[in-house]
Amino acid sequence: MTNRPKRYALAIDTKKCIDCKACVVACRAENGVPIGKSRNWINEELHGDWPKLMGVFEPEQCHHCEEPACVRVCPTGASYIRSDGVVAINPSECVGCRYCMIACPYDARFFREDLGVVEKCDLCAHRLDRDELPACVETCPSKVRIFGDLNDPASEIHQILEKRQYRVKKREAGTGPNIYYLL
Amino acid sequence: MKTIEWQYLIVSYLFLGGLSAGLFFVSALTELFRNGDSPREKIARVGALLAPWPVMIGCTLLVFDLGHWYRFYKLFLHFRWESPMSIGSWLLMSFIGVSLLYAYGWVPGSMREAVFERLPKRLRFLGVLNRDVSGWRRPLAIAGLPMSVGVAIYTGVLLGAVQSRPFWNTNLVAQLFLFSALSAGCALLILVLAASSQKFEMHEFQSLYLLDVSFLTLEFFIVVPYVIHGELSVEAVRESLKLVLGGPFTILFWVFFMGLGLLLPWAIEVYEALPLLLRHAQLVSRVDTATVAATGEAVSILADPGEQSPSRKLHFSRGWAVLAAVLVLISGVLVRYIFVFAGQMSAIQ
Repeated sequence: MTNRPKRYALAIDTKKCIDCKACVVACRAENGVPIGKSRNWINEELHGDWPKLMGVFEPEQCHHCEEPACVRVCPTGASYIRSDGVVAINPSECVGCRYCMIACPYDARFFREDLGVVEKCDLCAHRLDRDELPACVETCPSKVRIFGDLNDPASEIHQILEKRQYRVKKREAGTGPNIYYLL
Repeated sequence: MKTIEWQYLIVSYLFLGGLSAGLFFVSALTELFRNGDSPREKIARVGALLAPWPVMIGCTLLVFDLGHWYRFYKLFLHFRWESPMSIGSWLLMSFIGVSLLYAYGWVPGSMREAVFERLPKRLRFLGVLNRDVSGWRRPLAIAGLPMSVGVAIYTGVLLGAVQSRPFWNTNLVAQLFLFSALSAGCALLILVLAASSQKFEMHEFQSLYLLDVSFLTLEFFIVVPYVIHGELSVEAVRESLKLVLGGPFTILFWVFFMGLGLLLPWAIEVYEALPLLLRHAQLVSRVDTATVAATGEAVSILADPGEQSPSRKLHFSRGWAVLAAVLVLISGVLVRYIFVFAGQMSAIQ
């Protein structure tokens, strides 16, 4: 674990998700994400057959890994980790080689053909800098998303991860993902 | 969102970069070990003169694959040792520089003089470049040899250094690309020499055959463990191997790459060079074992075209040489196509 003053992370209470996609729309509006691309999305899994059917909705976006593969492979340093743990992209340094997209185990990045750069979720870094919540977290009507600083023992996310069981996706990729799916 | 980001431009670049590296490698190796042998001077010269161009075309393709081509200079404002692409960009630049200089060292003096004489008046200042650098051939060959290996192997490292794509994430990809690149360099030399020599005397470039047979053999023994180890590996790797074991790339991989691109040219080249190999075995048995122990000696015996008794004539024929070389070159493109596309389709589930 690297020592950063803050480690922003997201816990996701999957069972509360109703697949309304408000988070996707809020993100699109907040960050000007073009139609056809997405910084966040909702995975849908169906189990069983009708009428014994169960659907699981699992929101996903950049996992803001502790040791991100995208940052490691970036040839110019355009992909970087902020001191608060947010994995961000500096568009003025991005040459658009898309190596990071290939390196990301979560396929969380997309290419903006119009701008010639790669984009992805940055947990609304501009909002964090104003002490506001990421747009997806603020919008979610069923309170699926718990956002906070893992380094702060008083934060809701810290406390909930102490109490409840959770899993992370593709741990075997070894990047140390920071989206925690509550079980 | 899963997309295939690297496509034909990258496939072409990976092939062209490897081809240049192979050409330079073979040329430099020949120059360093030819001991004044003149037919082999031709190999070194043609290799040197061809080497810089494919990689320069390839780099142009790379630049145009970027989001905005004019941003490529930003790659050279940074050096990040953790990023294979950053290391690769600097490596490519140095390799292009050395290979251009090396090629210049092989331009015949008369041709150089003629070109500089014909310069228009406004460009006369370029006359300072009219210098004989043929004396630098050996130092440039020594300096460039590791660079060429670097360029050839880095293309595989670029793909392999990504833990999220199980199809790539093994050292064998780097090795496969290395030997495929060196073999492509050999093949292009065989092709050019076979097509251009007036009196077709294949024994002049028997060393090329021996090198290419070695590279193809190594390539074969990399592909086989790649598949076997993959099948014995974790689930993600096994899943990704299904792309070539029953998936969309199966026929391309086994029939066109392994069969027509690797085993067939290997068989042709072994058949062509068989008398040479046999003669070598005989010679070696005749020479004092102590001398043979020094590999350098063995190489010089091997390389000696010598006079052959009519009954020991080599099979060497232009048709077979061209066919084998073309097959090797096509398989060089093919293996990169398969790996670039299949790799991006593979993922940790």
